[in-house]
Amino acid sequence: MDLNYSAEDERFRLKVRQWIDQHPPGELSTVQAKKDWQRTLYDAGFVGMGWPREYGGQDARPMEQAMVAEEMARGDVPGAINSLALGLIGPTLIVHGTDEQKQRYVKRMLTAEDIWCQLYSEPDSGSDLASIKTRAVLEAFEDGEAWVINGQKVWTSLGPIADYGVLLARTNPNVPKHQGISYFIVDMHQPGVEVRPLKQITGSSEFAEVFFTNARVPAENIIGQEGQGWELAQTTLGFERGGSLLARVTRHQTNMRRLVEVAHGLSRDSVPILEDAVARQKLGRMVVEVEVLRYAGFRILSKLEQGKRPGAESSIDKLYYSELDKRHQEYMQDLLGPYGQLERGLPEELALNSSTLRGDDATWAYNFLWSRAGTIYAGSSEIQKNIIGERVLRLPREMRADRAGSGQREG
Amino acid sequence: MDFDFTQDQVMLRDLSREFLSRESAPRAVRSLMDDPRGFNDATWQQMAEMGLQGVAVDSTYGGQGLGMVEQALVLDEMGRAAYPGPYFASTVLAAGAIAASGQPALMERYLPDMAAGRTKATLALIESALSWAPSGVGLRASRSADGYTLSGVKRFVPFANVADYILVVARTSDSSEDGTTVFVVPAGASGVSQTANVEMDRTNRTSTVRFDAVRVGADAVIGEVDQGWRIVGAVLHRAAVAASAEMLGASRRCMEMSVEYAKVRQQFGQPIGMFQAIKHACAEMLLEVENSHAATYYAAWALDAGAADAPLAASAAKAYVGDASRKVCGSAIQVHGGIGFTWDYDLHLYFKRAKHYEPLYGDADFHRERALELTLARMEQPAEAVLA
Repeated sequence: MDLNYSAEDERFRLKVRQWIDQHPPGELSTVQAKKDWQRTLYDAGFVGMGWPREYGGQDARPMEQAMVAEEMARGDVPGAINSLALGLIGPTLIVHGTDEQKQRYVKRMLTAEDIWCQLYSEPDSGSDLASIKTRAVLEAFEDGEAWVINGQKVWTSLGPIADYGVLLARTNPNVPKHQGISYFIVDMHQPGVEVRPLKQITGSSEFAEVFFTNARVPAENIIGQEGQGWELAQTTLGFERGGSLLARVTRHQTNMRRLVEVAHGLSRDSVPILEDAVARQKLGRMVVEVEVLRYAGFRILSKLEQGKRPGAESSIDKLYYSELDKRHQEYMQDLLGPYGQLERGLPEELALNSSTLRGDDATWAYNFLWSRAGTIYAGSSEIQKNIIGERVLRLPREMRADRAGSGQREG
Repeated sequence: MDFDFTQDQVMLRDLSREFLSRESAPRAVRSLMDDPRGFNDATWQQMAEMGLQGVAVDSTYGGQGLGMVEQALVLDEMGRAAYPGPYFASTVLAAGAIAASGQPALMERYLPDMAAGRTKATLALIESALSWAPSGVGLRASRSADGYTLSGVKRFVPFANVADYILVVARTSDSSEDGTTVFVVPAGASGVSQTANVEMDRTNRTSTVRFDAVRVGADAVIGEVDQGWRIVGAVLHRAAVAASAEMLGASRRCMEMSVEYAKVRQQFGQPIGMFQAIKHACAEMLLEVENSHAATYYAAWALDAGAADAPLAASAAKAYVGDASRKVCGSAIQVHGGIGFTWDYDLHLYFKRAKHYEPLYGDADFHRERALELTLARMEQPAEAVLA
C-alpha cells in the first residue's frame, strides 16, 4: 500500500493547474464557443488522453487523466462538450469499428468537429433496454443497400446539437431479444430524423427525444456484426461506469466549501446553522461520505494504474456516488431552508457560484433537482443492485417473464 | 498510487485467517462464552509465537516493527473470527500507550513481555461521563511523598479481569488544558477492585474497576505529568482505526454468511436470493463492506505515512464503518430470518462483535462532529495550503 502521489504525478498536477489558471474559458454561451473550448483543451493535451496515440490520444496513464479531471473540477472549468464521444462512443469504435469507421470519425470527436449522441432508451424501454422496438430493415436502393430506421428514442443527451449518433435498433424480431439488436452510426442531419428537446423537472433540456421516420443508414455504418448490438452496448455502459470518482470528490468538496461559507450567514429557528448540533451532524455526514468516496476513488485509480479494468464492481461505485449525491443535495436543502429552492431572487451572498457540467450557472435548486437523474441514468440503482447481486455476489438470477430458463446463473 | 496489500501483508492476513479459523472457530468461541477469563492461554501463546501481539511493536522491543496497516489486517481477521481475548486491550490500547510515551526505559521494561505474550495489560480510560476528552477524566491522582495516590472509578475497562497491568488515565491537575496523567498500576495492587460486567458480546469482557487510595511510585508515570492526553489522544486515534478494522471483519463475515444463505434457503419454491428484496439487501451489504474496507485501510495507511489528513481519515473511518457495520450486520439477521435470531446459529457472534465497537473510542456521531471540525479548520487555512 502506498497512496502517495509520486513526485512525477505532483509535477504533472502543477503543470495542469498552471495551465488552467492561465486559460480562463470565459463565457461559453454558444455551441460553437463550447466546441472551441474543447479544441483548446485538446490542443493543451487534456482531451482523449487515455486514447491510443494513433487515434489522436496520448496513451496517458489513468493517474494523469484523473489529475486533469480533478484540476478541471477544482478550477470549476467546463469539460469537453463531446462527452459521450470521448467517454463511450470513441472507445467503442476504436475497439469494434472498421478501419474506415475509425479513420472517418474518431479523430474529429477529439476536436469537437462532430458532436455525438447516444440513441439507446425508448419510451417503453428504460431499465429493460433490450426490449427496444426501433426497427432497422435492410433495403436495396439505387446507391446501394441501406438500413431503414423507424421508431422513437428518448433521454438522448446532446441530441439537439449532435452531428452523429450511435443507435441501438432491432434488426431481427424473430430471435430472443438480446440477439436481435444491432449497433449503427447514424447521421443526425438527414430527412426522417427529428430531434425535440425534452424539458425536464429542472426546467432545462439536457436531453432530447429523437423520432426516426424512414431515416437511412448506409449498410457500412453498422458497428460490429448484425445481432451484436447488445454485446457492444454493454461494453459502452462499462466505459461509462468507469468515470472518474476523484473529480466528483473535488466537485463535492467545492460545493461543500461554498455551503459552509453560505452557512455562516444562515440561521434556523434563530440558531446560527453552524452552531446547531443537528445541522452539524448533517454536515459531518457529508464530510465523512465524501471522504469515503475519495478513498474508494484511490482504490479504483490504483486498479486502473495496474492495467486492470474494473468490471461489475464499478456498479458499486455508481450506486454509491449517485445515491450519495441525492442524499447530500437533500442535506443542503435542509441547511438552506427556503433559500435552497430559489431559481431567482437568491441573495448574492447565498449564491452557489459554480457551474453545471455543461458550463452554465448552477443553483442549489438545479443541483438538487439534477441529483434525481443520477440514480436513474446509466442503469438505475435497482439495476446496479441486480448487477452487484448477480454478477459480483453470484446470487441466482431472478425469474423474468421474458426469459426462458431464468433461475440459472449466467456467465 | 497502490491500494493493494504487499505480498508480506497478504501473507500476514492469510496466516491470521488460517490460524483463527482453526483456533477461533465458532465452537471454540462458544466454549469460552461462560469462561470466567474469556480467553484461551494456548491460543494466546501461539499468537505470540506468530508475532501477532508484537505486530506494531518496535523491533528494538521484541516486536515486528510493522505499521497500522498490518495491525488493522490482524484485527480485521479477529473481527471476522470474533476472537475472544485481550488482544485489542493489550496490544492496541496498552502497548500502544506505552509506545506513544516514546520513553525508552518504559518501553524496554514493558513492551518485550507484552509482545511475547508473557504479560497482558489494558487501559482504564472512561468513567461515568463516557467522555473521550480529557475533561471526562475525574479519577484523582494526588501527589504523595513517594509517588501518587489514585482514587476513583473507571468503567468498561476491557479485559481487566485477566490483565497484569492496568494503565490508568488520572486527573493530576485542574489548571491546565489537559491536566491528565497516565499511570501503570499492577492489577493486583492494594486498593484495586473490579466487578465484571456481562457484555452481550461474550467475546469481549469489561469490568468496572475501583481505585481506592491505590498508591503507586513516581516511576508509574507513563509520559509526562499533566500531559497524559498526548498519549491518550494518540491511542484513541489508533483505536478508532483498530475498532473500524474489527467492525469491518465482522461485517464481511455477516455479509458472506448472508449471501451463502440466500443461495441455499428456499421459500416459495426458489432460493430467497432470487428475490430482489433479498438480492438488493445483499448488494447494499457489499457496498458498505467495500467502502468500509477503503475507509479503514486508507486511515491505517495515513497514520503510518504521517499524512496530514490522518486524523480526518480516522474519524471518517470510525463514523462510516460504525454505521455501515450496524447496517450490514443488522441486514444479515433480516436476510436470515428466524434462524438468525437463534442462539445456536453463529450469526449473532459477529453481529454482537461489531456492535461492541460502535460506541467505543467515539461513536459515529462523535466522529462526524470531529470530521466536521477538522474540515472547517482546514477550510479556514489559505487555499494553497489546503490544495497542497
